Amino acid sequence: MKARVTVMLWLFALAGETLGAPAGPANMVLVPAGIYHPLFESRTAPAGIKVSSFYLDALPVTVGDYLEFVLANPQWQRSRVKRIFADEAYLQNWEGDLKPGTTELADAPVTQVSWFAARAYAQWKGKRLPTIAEWERAAAASPTRPDGENDPAFRRQILEWYATPSFPLVSVEQGKPNFWGIRDLHGMVWEWVLDFNAALLGDDTQAGGQNSRGLFCGGASQGARDVDDYPAFMRTGFRSSLKADYCVHNLGFRCAKDL
Amino acid sequence: MKMKQLCYAASILAAVLSLSAAELKTNEVKHSCCQPMDASLKGLPEKSVYQLETVWTNDQNQAMQLSALKGRPQIVVMFFASCQYTCPIIVHQLKQLEEALPLGVRTNVGFTLASFDSKRDTPAALKDFRAQHTLPQLNWTLLNGDADGVADLAAVLGVKFKQGAQGQFAHSNVITLLNAQGEIVYQQIGLNPENQELVPRIEKLETH
Repeated sequence: MKARVTVMLWLFALAGETLGAPAGPANMVLVPAGIYHPLFESRTAPAGIKVSSFYLDALPVTVGDYLEFVLANPQWQRSRVKRIFADEAYLQNWEGDLKPGTTELADAPVTQVSWFAARAYAQWKGKRLPTIAEWERAAAASPTRPDGENDPAFRRQILEWYATPSFPLVSVEQGKPNFWGIRDLHGMVWEWVLDFNAALLGDDTQAGGQNSRGLFCGGASQGARDVDDYPAFMRTGFRSSLKADYCVHNLGFRCAKDL
Repeated sequence: MKMKQLCYAASILAAVLSLSAAELKTNEVKHSCCQPMDASLKGLPEKSVYQLETVWTNDQNQAMQLSALKGRPQIVVMFFASCQYTCPIIVHQLKQLEEALPLGVRTNVGFTLASFDSKRDTPAALKDFRAQHTLPQLNWTLLNGDADGVADLAAVLGVKFKQGAQGQFAHSNVITLLNAQGEIVYQQIGLNPENQELVPRIEKLETH
């Protein structure tokens, strides 16, 4: 009897395994724990940064999603948002407080939202923004391998997107899902991360003024993990140029969640 | 039959009602993003840093919002108490700045140090820091906040920061001058003892 129960439990466990990961939050994907290698590795911790497993939205937040948010949270409507939380460009691509632009698809990624707005949306959903480490960990995967960042063909593809104007914005879910099942991390819009303002800060740069060391001019690749990883340079540069109230026409976001 | 239908309808209604009751309940627990405006924020300019509604704790263990700082110019700096490098220098610079102010102005300027280090800079640790650096109780405020509050304040002040593997914080050094309404009037970026801008800027605020 006991043996039979054990076998049954084992079978259940097996079934669970084959059915995939335990069901997480809707439309989110589990990214297993791993290591993120920052572009500028710390001298004190060159082994990379451990990233715990987490959930990430399979798709960027869409215009339709964001409309629901501003309906439920009027203080985030275009005419009512406090200037300190979003600059003048906030939702300027919409026609009104509750009316997305006519050329904008409801399932296109929402853009022209500030970091504060993205964060408030995530909180409202019971989620949060992903950190740089988490976003990069998820985005390193190509459609076929978790470490796509080491695949020159995949890098070339990303670079081609960086070189291509992405307007007008198309519906999400265009791209192939990556190894983890997440779409549109590349090829659609840039995305806010929780700690965008940590970009370019090394682990051991406490001396003020030293922080942008190596970003500008010919020193750009000095100390970088991989001088060929141009997409990582571009993302780092882009993030470090942002301020929390900036609303940019090709900058959206997606949410993450702890396990 | 009719009775049965009625019961059925009633049970659906009950289910719907209980569902909306449950929804109401979850709505009650609102995040800081979605809370109704605090009365004390009324009349503050839209670009006031005091629009942030996060609750901080000072070294007297009192909970407070940043808007409690309004009413006089404030010098605001983010730091952490165990910092071995720039933070002691910045605090020293702030004390020098305070001494450089004319007496009548000095007593009406607040100095606020908000810590990056939610975990270690407890109110008690901040109290020790105050004692170590002999920071006057009258106009120096030391604040501990949660991770969200720290992120918010850093974001509005344009301070870059990042926690390192050993729990230390890498951060940019920014001294911010806020007017009585909490608007950013001037920022000194980096450690620059040669920078003499702050004193006249504060004096200018005081005479207006």
